[in-house]
Amino acid sequence: MSAPNTMKPKAIVLTGYGLNCDYETDYSLKLAGAESYRIHINEVISGEMGGRKISLEDYHILVFGGGFSWADDHGAGVLMASKLRQHLGKQIERFVRDGKLVLGICNGFQCLVNLGLIPAFDSQYRERNVALTYNDSGNFIDTWVNLKINPGSPCVFTQGLSTLELPVRHGEGKFYAAAEDIDRLFENGQVVLQYADENGQEAHGQWPLNPNGSLQDIAGICDPTGRIFGLMPHPEGFNHYTNHPDWTKKKEALTRQGEEIMPGEGEGIRILRNAVEYIRTAF
Amino acid sequence: MVSRLEIRLKKELMDAEGAGIRQKSREYFGFEVDAIRVIRVLTLDMELKPDQLEQIRNEIFTNPVTEESSYSPMATGFDWLIWIGFRPGVRDTAGSTAREAIEDLLGIESKQDQAVYTSKLYEIRGQLSEKQIKKIAGDLLANDIVQQWKVFSGYEWDKDKGIGFPVPKVILDHEPEVSTISIQSDEELGRISLERNLALQNRDIPVIRRYFLREDILKERKTVGLDLPTDVELEYISQARSDHCNHNTFRGLFRYHDLLTGNRETVDNLFKSCIEAPTLKIKEEKDWVTSVLWDNAGVGRFDDDHYYVITGETHNSPSNMEAYGGAITGIVGIYRDPMGTGKGSRLILGMYGYCVGHREYEGELTPHLHPRRLLDGVIEGVRDGGNKSGIPTPYGLLFFDESYVGKCLVFVTALGIMPATIGHASSHKKTTSPGELIIMAGGRVGKDGIHGVTAASETYSEHTPAGHVQIGDPYTQKKMHDFLIEARDEELITFITDNGGGGLSSSIGESARFSNGARVDLDRVPLKYEGLDQWEIWVSESQERMTIAVKPEHLDRFMALSAKHAVESTVIGEYNDSGYLQLDYKGKTCAYIRMDLLESDFPQWEFDAQWTPPDMRGLTEPVISEPEDHGPLLKAILSRPNICARNWIARQYDHEVQGSSVVKPLVGKGRDIPTDAAVVRPVLGSNRGIAVSQTLNPSYSEIDTYHMTGATIDEAVRKTLAVGGDPNHLGGLDNFCWPTIEYHPANNPDGKYKAAQLVRANWALRDYCLGYGIPLLSGKDSMYIDGNLEGPYGERRKISGPPTLMFTVSSVIEDINRCVTMDAKFPGDLVYVLGETRNECGASEYYQMMGAVGLNVPTVDVEALWPQYLALHGAIQAGLVSSCHAVSKGGLAVHSAMVAMGGELGMELLLPLIPGFSGLTVGQALYSESCGRFVITVAPGKKDVFEKIFSGMKIGRAGVVTESPRFSVKDGREKAIIDEDVNELKHVWKKPFGELI
Repeated sequence: MSAPNTMKPKAIVLTGYGLNCDYETDYSLKLAGAESYRIHINEVISGEMGGRKISLEDYHILVFGGGFSWADDHGAGVLMASKLRQHLGKQIERFVRDGKLVLGICNGFQCLVNLGLIPAFDSQYRERNVALTYNDSGNFIDTWVNLKINPGSPCVFTQGLSTLELPVRHGEGKFYAAAEDIDRLFENGQVVLQYADENGQEAHGQWPLNPNGSLQDIAGICDPTGRIFGLMPHPEGFNHYTNHPDWTKKKEALTRQGEEIMPGEGEGIRILRNAVEYIRTAF
Repeated sequence: MVSRLEIRLKKELMDAEGAGIRQKSREYFGFEVDAIRVIRVLTLDMELKPDQLEQIRNEIFTNPVTEESSYSPMATGFDWLIWIGFRPGVRDTAGSTAREAIEDLLGIESKQDQAVYTSKLYEIRGQLSEKQIKKIAGDLLANDIVQQWKVFSGYEWDKDKGIGFPVPKVILDHEPEVSTISIQSDEELGRISLERNLALQNRDIPVIRRYFLREDILKERKTVGLDLPTDVELEYISQARSDHCNHNTFRGLFRYHDLLTGNRETVDNLFKSCIEAPTLKIKEEKDWVTSVLWDNAGVGRFDDDHYYVITGETHNSPSNMEAYGGAITGIVGIYRDPMGTGKGSRLILGMYGYCVGHREYEGELTPHLHPRRLLDGVIEGVRDGGNKSGIPTPYGLLFFDESYVGKCLVFVTALGIMPATIGHASSHKKTTSPGELIIMAGGRVGKDGIHGVTAASETYSEHTPAGHVQIGDPYTQKKMHDFLIEARDEELITFITDNGGGGLSSSIGESARFSNGARVDLDRVPLKYEGLDQWEIWVSESQERMTIAVKPEHLDRFMALSAKHAVESTVIGEYNDSGYLQLDYKGKTCAYIRMDLLESDFPQWEFDAQWTPPDMRGLTEPVISEPEDHGPLLKAILSRPNICARNWIARQYDHEVQGSSVVKPLVGKGRDIPTDAAVVRPVLGSNRGIAVSQTLNPSYSEIDTYHMTGATIDEAVRKTLAVGGDPNHLGGLDNFCWPTIEYHPANNPDGKYKAAQLVRANWALRDYCLGYGIPLLSGKDSMYIDGNLEGPYGERRKISGPPTLMFTVSSVIEDINRCVTMDAKFPGDLVYVLGETRNECGASEYYQMMGAVGLNVPTVDVEALWPQYLALHGAIQAGLVSSCHAVSKGGLAVHSAMVAMGGELGMELLLPLIPGFSGLTVGQALYSESCGRFVITVAPGKKDVFEKIFSGMKIGRAGVVTESPRFSVKDGREKAIIDEDVNELKHVWKKPFGELI
């Protein structure tokens, strides 16, 4: 038997310009076994952090987290994508070519689709083929969703998972694309997550199971390699079991069976742990 | 050259914004609109070449999947078109981020007077008259105070010219000048004060004149080239002496006279006697109380390595004028207080409270904004302010009362956290020292918000200057927040405070007290546009700014961090120990005021307070026979506006960002019942948490504000304890909103009574804070919640809001794993009622529904209740409690039903088993709002241990949770007096606002 692989993949959580889920995303990556850093977008661009040189090359996982980058006023994630394309486009493409991982959560997902990093049909990593637009309800929503996970997807972040509950918190999460592009996403296994009911069956657009009117209940997609993953729900929002809306009842039920709930991590961490495991195997 | 880019969703995409407006047009006005689609407009007042215009259109502003765009007019096939844009000088965040993105993409830098302006076009299809369209434009979409609008009909539309090129640029064309003000007599200064809107207090005028006429002062002033007071100086004094900044009312002298007993009493300084004294006493007893009563917010210990910071305030007047702008400015503004507490804290939580007229108000008075529109705007303002700040908003209140049509109340509360030490120094301590630089960071200064502080200290009338309304910018502030936390951790900050009411005048004026002097170059303050007078720069309340003291040797690093975070920071002066505040403009002194002037003996405000006890006012208990149909009665109460579900608000607020959520705003099986308190775990990885709850019960004020205050404090305490809060760590926050208490025979004939109400509320605050051991970590008062509204006959009627206290309780929870929620968990669980129900229906929901006020307002007996609270805490900590819920508005019937609704389970209750039942009528038992009570469910196996903890106390095992979803109550006879389907109860409770999203 070989010793457990304890290599710590290095992760960057981008910060600044109105991004805001950086603390809990960083915390969650650490829980998952990564060596994680919160780094300002301008530091990644300038290649310098507090007098030290930094480079994307030295990291394995790049996380575009949640928030309101540049206030989101011209479409969520639009101005951030413009900034990053301008200053980091080539570096990020190289990062991807090197077999590393990119994760976009909520505002990060919106940024990834505007950058064209996903869905990247035919490995064209600059084309915009899908969009995340205003929720059909016309308003921001914070609610927990059930997710159905595609077992046939190449996505490295969801390996071994079939369903998951996570919070969504957004005003622009409606997944939209032309019908033929949606077909293509399904054919390629690039649809990773779909909004579902309690039994793991697709929501079929029913609100609030599908909280935003996403076509085909799509909640998350990946690139053809499965190494770039974007999703509207927040895995870092379920970093501890007490984040779950039903935890007090679950705990009470366990106690009555004479079991104790182990103060344990939330299930959202599994997505990040998959990323860490993948890097450990690949590098 | 000016260009105009128009962007719209492709036709096949649903336009959610348009659909929302269509729905509101129907709901607000009954207009049937066929369709509304929105076009976003960017007016580019920049030098751009055609290829550059195409590049930014394609690469930034148009999403090829969902949008189409053009530099030519895009509107087509409409019946009406409404254009809405900002007025000049109003904050246009989207415009400035657009400019930033254009500059970044093209690698250009535009001139300071170049800009991008955003506006919107609404294409409307439907058979509507011009009058109806103007109503949609003016009363639904635009607010005249901050926006301008135009209407185009399909006939007159010039499809080539379109809307033209709106450029709302501010051009003042004014050379800044300092004027001096004559002080020959008190009368003259008083007149000038009125003319210039200085709002100097009449009683302060002689003190001010005396100062400027002093020989030694005149001599000193001469050395800096000054003689008569300048407008800058008088504005400074006026701001510092305003009620908003100085709390003159609470520090006033009250001559209290009880008309029943004839008792007379002089009450000197409510703040000192009822807030400061008890808080300092409790601070001595509780070592977790870290820093209170001086800083922007109070500080308590969270754990050995962290402090938490809490404060709250109101933003009533601006919200009343411009609901969205006022509310977003309010929430973003309160977030600066924790940022400016100690050496700065990171924001972890926000809360809200709205008091408004009824959403369906149809009275004959014309409020500035209809309560429905006002409420919608306020909700959206706090939504954008909180969500875009990345701070969870897991708790809030909404309360309707007809009398809030005069002025609405918007409460905002903020919590932050900071490491206990920065370097080797305590984080809650800070000071300024001679030689340190004064830095202004964040936004720039414009005309906005000038005289905001003095306007908040006045009653709203048609003459209230609208200029004090602003639109908060959470984006700019979030960048600044991230920057300042980093600067703090690098030990670059020696002092920090926010620029709120009074602007630089207040932030520098107060911070310079520590070093005992400061000198400022007003011409170095970055402006939004040229042409501001010196005094305007000094008192402007332009938002998103902090004032920071930095040692010269740290300046380079501080500025480098500022640049990294894309935050503007500017050195505008330095602290010294001269004993003077000196303001210069281009090398010339325009203000020179001794630091101790404001500490000199300005006359105390004085009030006559006359208390007429409720029975003397003719209040009696109503005569109501026992209702025969308690089921329908319960349903009717559940659907009343102050009881029913208002879940649409909580759902649009991000209450889980930061990953710290433990108890959410809505709990239970359906995740739809309001929690007693919210709990967060601000230090991820730690088991500690903070519980917070808020309450307000202004209806009780109609009987006695003493008991209103007691009941409000007790309810907040119980709500915090219900989720597992620690009775030995209860932090308080008092937010008073009161109608004008200064007696005036014509304008405020009941002023003396209102003053007595304030005194009594403060007495109760003192008594119950001492009783429960609650230090007042922070608090604010907002007087003048009156409005003079237009009536149907050309008259104006004064409407005063009810005396309102919002009370917040915070508690540190040692182990969040022990928290409980209010929903019944399992069938078979035993239902206990803790605490005595008494004949206390006065001002209850029940009486209100019956059209009565009554006399028997709930009273609080701390000594009787406290042991029960300690026992409850012990039971929760021991894991014996399955659910726990505080009984409040609506009484036991409503709140035990809520416990059942939370679990989507049934409940059987036997009223004779509740403590205090004998001697009560069934109606009283069901609907009395007696304090001190909880509904608790317990697993049957834990019955004995649980009951032992409460032995000898007022507790009754009054029922059981059932599988079958029936809510059934018996009064001792065989037949149930209530037997309703829990799902039906929930349906009724949700229905009133069920359509809102």
